[in-house]
Amino acid sequence: MKGLRKYLTPFAPDQSGAESVLYQLGGILVILDAGGCTGNICGFDEPRWSTEPSAVFSAGLRDMDAIMGRDELLVKKLEKVADKIDAGFIAMIGTPVPSVIGTDYHALRRMTARKVKLPILAIDTDGMHTYEVGEQKAYLELMKVLSEEKREEQKEKTVGVFGAIPLDLPIPSHQERIRQNLLERGYDRVILYGADATLEDVKGASGVTENIVTSPSGLKAAEYMKKTFGIPYQVEYPGADQLLADLTEEEPSLAFTDKKVLILHQQVLANALRQEIRKVTENRAEVSVASYFMMQKEDMEAGDHKLREEDAWIELVKEGGFDVILADDTLRRMTPQFSGRWISLPSFAISGKYDPSK
Amino acid sequence: MRKEAICYTAAELVELGKEQIPEEFQSAAQLVYSSPATLAYNSPGAEGFGVKRAGLSVPGSIMLIVAPGCCGRNTSSIAKIKGYGDRFFYLDMTDTDLVTARHLRKIPQAVKEIVDFQEEQGKHPSLVMICITCVDALLGTDMERVARKAEELAGLPVRPCYMYALTREGRKPPMVHVRQSLYELLPKQKKKGTSVNLMGFFAPLIDDCELYSQLRSIGVRNIRQISRCTSYEEFLKMGEANFNIVLHPEARAAAEDLLSRLDIPYVELTRLYQIDQIEKQYRAFGQAIGYEIESPVKKQEALDAVKALKTAHPDLTFTVGEAMNGNPFELALALVRYGFTVSEIYGTPAPEYYVYLDALAKLSPETKIYCNMEPTMLYYDSSTAKADVTIGKDAAFYHPDAAHIYWNEDIQPFGYAGVIRLMRAILEEVSP
Repeated sequence: MKGLRKYLTPFAPDQSGAESVLYQLGGILVILDAGGCTGNICGFDEPRWSTEPSAVFSAGLRDMDAIMGRDELLVKKLEKVADKIDAGFIAMIGTPVPSVIGTDYHALRRMTARKVKLPILAIDTDGMHTYEVGEQKAYLELMKVLSEEKREEQKEKTVGVFGAIPLDLPIPSHQERIRQNLLERGYDRVILYGADATLEDVKGASGVTENIVTSPSGLKAAEYMKKTFGIPYQVEYPGADQLLADLTEEEPSLAFTDKKVLILHQQVLANALRQEIRKVTENRAEVSVASYFMMQKEDMEAGDHKLREEDAWIELVKEGGFDVILADDTLRRMTPQFSGRWISLPSFAISGKYDPSK
Repeated sequence: MRKEAICYTAAELVELGKEQIPEEFQSAAQLVYSSPATLAYNSPGAEGFGVKRAGLSVPGSIMLIVAPGCCGRNTSSIAKIKGYGDRFFYLDMTDTDLVTARHLRKIPQAVKEIVDFQEEQGKHPSLVMICITCVDALLGTDMERVARKAEELAGLPVRPCYMYALTREGRKPPMVHVRQSLYELLPKQKKKGTSVNLMGFFAPLIDDCELYSQLRSIGVRNIRQISRCTSYEEFLKMGEANFNIVLHPEARAAAEDLLSRLDIPYVELTRLYQIDQIEKQYRAFGQAIGYEIESPVKKQEALDAVKALKTAHPDLTFTVGEAMNGNPFELALALVRYGFTVSEIYGTPAPEYYVYLDALAKLSPETKIYCNMEPTMLYYDSSTAKADVTIGKDAAFYHPDAAHIYWNEDIQPFGYAGVIRLMRAILEEVSP
């Protein structure tokens, strides 16, 4: 049945993706919920929450707030919190509750702006889409609201990275790997938006030399920066060669040559691994990519799959005749009949498992 | 801007009075700060029992969570707990469902599919709980009707439970409702004078709790708790009880239902850590049921446990949180009355807690009281207060270098036995 899940818990939702982009920027983040969504986002999808405090709040909505549409009460709460907390902006992040009652985010932004002298970001996530949708919205809103007029080109060669929040990556240390890889290519400075970028970095985003998109969720923001400020961008996943080497015990060429391979992850990473596999096997591997998350049509090849249901994965593995699968281990129990080789490619957005020591 | 966490002393709170509890302690008046110290408030299911875990208290039950993906996201952490694997299923709601409510038409078939799926794996579920969330609260869904339809199609009991965070401070909060939903399953049956139910918790009382022996000494043979039932049939026998003992106020509404529907009366007992008050409560309980209830040996053991800690570590300073098995104000008062110092409490004063606060203000007027949820807790500075021992997971978060007693285990401490365990746990933790 469409929408029925018997094996997998739901994936990280859009509100978690939005929160993740903004977490470390020194703003007041307000989840427009009754409390449960905030608990889920912070307690489950935000690995930094237990070690790095951030001003994340639940709006603490109650049934009558929702039924009566008491936006003015929310604005009053925002006003109070802005008086108490030193912050660079306020971001309102949507959940199913404002979605059901049809909250007008533009109006809410205007009402708040009249009372609070801080930039206001409004992100209309609804908890019904997956994380990358919220991540995409947050990146775009962040750049639209906070990046300032075109600054003079910086002397140092700086690169901005969209799409490297913990939910996008197989393991936490990949943020550092992406940075190192780009530094080795000759950049003086690497700014990971949604990771270690500061509010000042965001304000100065119009002055970077180039942007790199490491996940489909970063594409719209990069396009916006190109259109508005003329900053070029590339879609790639730096360090995919190292990742592939880490995933296999033996030489990657031995693992994949003459094999039919299926990779499941976010599309940019999966495509980068596919390219690496083709390179090491001298094109002697048949590689397909599948993802439960956003896929850009123009980056899909014949045989690639955008998945929605559990059954789609089961069917794909059953009928696909794959020799090797690279996917999160959580999916393995869905296809006990698969007799090929399973290589663990963790996806925090799927499993919710995140080991900060890796 | 003062980057400082707002707090009040016990004396200040009492002076203001229970009619004027400061705004900082009222969740409805402000945004709710999210830190690891508030996780149990924001997401009760993340630790201990929330609606999802509580809803699976009946042996052999499974749950279909009908909700947007975000509501079910953290369930995998519950499914890791022993006994909960393979018991959760999900029916994702989309934005179209919100408009058309078509998800409601799918539920009976989804219930049947998950029951068939379990049967294929050699499992025979006893009950399906349908868990719905804030979205359906706002849509005004009549889940009772949908559950009846699902019941007809799947051929086994189907009950709704409501994870409505929006109503948490309303007349019937989710944790009250889930208890009602579960106990509604009990059928009318012949009552047995030798059967008693302990209601309120979703895990059993500690094995050495004196309440068991007290009840046995007055002739009770079957002391039933939902968490100790090993089968659905045994759970149904809870309907034969002579009376119910309500150990948590959130079970009061369910006990009221059983009183009116099955004619089972109930008495309420409160978890306390002041030994003299425990004794007093047992005496009142005895009077209510016409017996003398006392446990002198256990009481002495509790007194000895307090004395042992006090002798070994007379000058301990505690901080007490609310994310633990107890009322932070009552526990703080107990510790102060035993001669220890309580420097800080992280809790939410309610008018009914002033019976403890009034006494605390007299004995320890400078004890500071913080509200975990208050926005300025972002600036909490642990160096402003001494803490040798923290009690509660939230208190541990604020003072990471102190000795920690989380005191939030599923198995529930109660009575003298609870005091004994707590004192011994502290002694063990602070002894070199």
